[in-house]
Amino acid sequence: MLEAGLAQLRFAASILFGTRFSLWSLDQLIAALQATQREFGFLGAEGRELLGSPQLDEETRRAMQLRRFRSQAVRAAHETRYYQQLFERLGLDPGRIRYEEIARLPLTSKADLRRDPEAFVCRKAHPFLRVLTTGTTGWPTSVAFSTYELRVYAALTAISALFSGELTSEDIIQLSTSSRGMLGNACLVGAGAHLGALVYLAGVTEPAHALALLAEKHHLAGKKTRTSVLYTYPSYLGALIECGLALGYRPSDFGLERIFVGGEIVTEGLKVRSQQLFGDARVIEGGYGMTEIWPFGGQLCEQGHLHFEVSQGFLEVANLGTSAPALAGETGTLVATPFYPYRETTLLLRYGTGDVVQRLAEPLTCRLRHLPATSRLLGKVALSVQHGRGWTYPRQLAEALESLEEVPLPARYGYWAVPGGVAVEVVVREATQQVRRHIETGLEEQGVPLQALHLREDRSQLQHPMPLRGDLREHTFGPLTLDHPLSSERSVFPQAAEAMLKGAL
Amino acid sequence: MLQLSSSLVLGYVACGLVCSWVYFRRYQVSRPPVGVFNGRDLALMVPLLILVPLLYLLLPLWLTAALWLLVTLSILSFTWEPLLPTRWSIWLVAVTLLASDCGVAFMGTRQNAFFAVNDFAVLVIVVGITNLWAQSGMKARDTALLALLLAPYDFITTIQLPLMSELLTRLSALPLAPLVAWSSGHTLPSIGLGDLLLAGVFPLVMRKAFGRLAGLVALGLALATIGVLLALPLQGGFPLMVVLGPLMGLQYLSWRRRGPERTTGRYLLEEPMPPRKAPCTLRQETR
Repeated sequence: MLEAGLAQLRFAASILFGTRFSLWSLDQLIAALQATQREFGFLGAEGRELLGSPQLDEETRRAMQLRRFRSQAVRAAHETRYYQQLFERLGLDPGRIRYEEIARLPLTSKADLRRDPEAFVCRKAHPFLRVLTTGTTGWPTSVAFSTYELRVYAALTAISALFSGELTSEDIIQLSTSSRGMLGNACLVGAGAHLGALVYLAGVTEPAHALALLAEKHHLAGKKTRTSVLYTYPSYLGALIECGLALGYRPSDFGLERIFVGGEIVTEGLKVRSQQLFGDARVIEGGYGMTEIWPFGGQLCEQGHLHFEVSQGFLEVANLGTSAPALAGETGTLVATPFYPYRETTLLLRYGTGDVVQRLAEPLTCRLRHLPATSRLLGKVALSVQHGRGWTYPRQLAEALESLEEVPLPARYGYWAVPGGVAVEVVVREATQQVRRHIETGLEEQGVPLQALHLREDRSQLQHPMPLRGDLREHTFGPLTLDHPLSSERSVFPQAAEAMLKGAL
Repeated sequence: MLQLSSSLVLGYVACGLVCSWVYFRRYQVSRPPVGVFNGRDLALMVPLLILVPLLYLLLPLWLTAALWLLVTLSILSFTWEPLLPTRWSIWLVAVTLLASDCGVAFMGTRQNAFFAVNDFAVLVIVVGITNLWAQSGMKARDTALLALLLAPYDFITTIQLPLMSELLTRLSALPLAPLVAWSSGHTLPSIGLGDLLLAGVFPLVMRKAFGRLAGLVALGLALATIGVLLALPLQGGFPLMVVLGPLMGLQYLSWRRRGPERTTGRYLLEEPMPPRKAPCTLRQETR
């Protein structure tokens, strides 16, 4: 208990004063949380409050964030090539920036980072892992991390999982995420190691393979008999649902309890339709995260807002047209500055994520009202469409389409601007008039100014398909089932056996 | 045959231990939300128990008194917290008790008016600390081990060295003397706070670990042991832990053979706390 108390104090000092985390204290905290859970059967809300960000009034929050921003900007100007040149060019002293001047600093774009990722790496840092994004929106972005950062992220993931109670040592966790999604996978594997859960990376293979793994029975002491937790992308979950139902799987074939989805827009329709295959397994939306600004990200509250921890980074919403700070009720792109001690290797100031959200107009009344918040993600700005009547975002289409049984999962669609609104193309099971009417109604309910609708019965007919992470397939040779070994294995085995026998004789 | 003063001391002790027992089943102290009392705490506690008495002997009297006053105030406040509805009422009761103890101490710490108040304050402290330990997940194994480790310590410091008697002499001259005592003629039977804490916490952790019967047996044996020792015509201080320590160790081993220790979660699942009417809030009072 005394060690737990000291570890909490050390952790709180890092949160409050922005000092480096002590890995010892993080390990102690996890051990203490596990011991508390074992002894009492649960972790109280007081513990979460104790380890969470302090509840600050607006003025104190601004002062604290300005201090952290300045300190990170000074570090970036002294230790990275990109920001040294930037601040020299601007003739600005990063240590004296005022709060209102932050918004006038130029945005760091994805293109800047892609062009010269090493210009953002601190000279004094010890990069250990170069993480490449999956590249769904083009050339992969590269971000370097130190061993300290990775250990901190894994520990923070474990602490968060312990408080949410969503992962236990009895769980078997399948990661159906791209093997190139290294950072998220590493954090989960690290958290699994802290928690004692069994984790395996299944990758984004053919859905039949992933389903077979989920249905597999396990006989490990202290573990559940089937995979209990699945981490995946919404589009791949959609593919699993569609494939599983076609193959005749039923909820009783699986032991899934929780399905964490993230990395793309998660729709209400997907959550509902998941029940057809996975029964009572809860589909949990993972908030907002991005390799470039990790671990600064959004967590969802019960009212569906994205809340951002003030000690982890500085959040802005930039107006889509002017890049000026978006006003309440306006949509804009997220601009994020992750702070020290969460980020010490690749430093980014005012990083333009390209993800669109809406600034909330109403005062917050939710559980996390002390943290800055935006709406749920509306989609990538590059995948949004501007037309004569404003903007249409991927979420509007995805929400409308994935709630309809007539549209196979994941919803495959494209849309583009036409006079007076947008034209939409969508893959359906059967292109009938009734289906057309349903889709038109659904899109209109989501506020899509529909001018033309093209129904496609094959995804190859799509002219402007939206990229889906679930299509980042990792290929295998032959059908991967235990009953049907690979044909190459069958042919190799007798030869090998014959050779061994000959050798033995 | 027990003298009147010894009977009163035993009565106070019995009252303290039974109150701890009742409190344990009816009220929840505000335990630290993260962390469980474990073996490492025990390893730290033993050297601290050795060092603190030395510190109390070395520090100036006023500093010792101030430190003890602060610690006591904190203990009294968390002990009253689940019983009283408002923050101010908790502090009022705690401060009143402390002020009363200090007030009667000015009239002399060797007279029964002081003991009457001080014994009550010590009992509240015992109820609070034993419940904080037990409700923070202290294991019966660790408590028994602590009691066993304290047995030789108690023997050395009470019989072999003058440490414990010097400490009691020094602290008994202060308000909030850490002992339960009653004066009668030329005798002053007493029992120290440390012994009371061990005697009080063991029945609670045994109940949590092995059930009601184990707890009641521990409670009965502790009271019987203290009663017998108070009845004996002993000269000078007697190291109570020399008897209580092995007795606790034996009890633990005996119950442990019948099955594993329960966690707090398991204990509360099998023996849920009886529903209790919530203390009325200030707002309800004013309506």
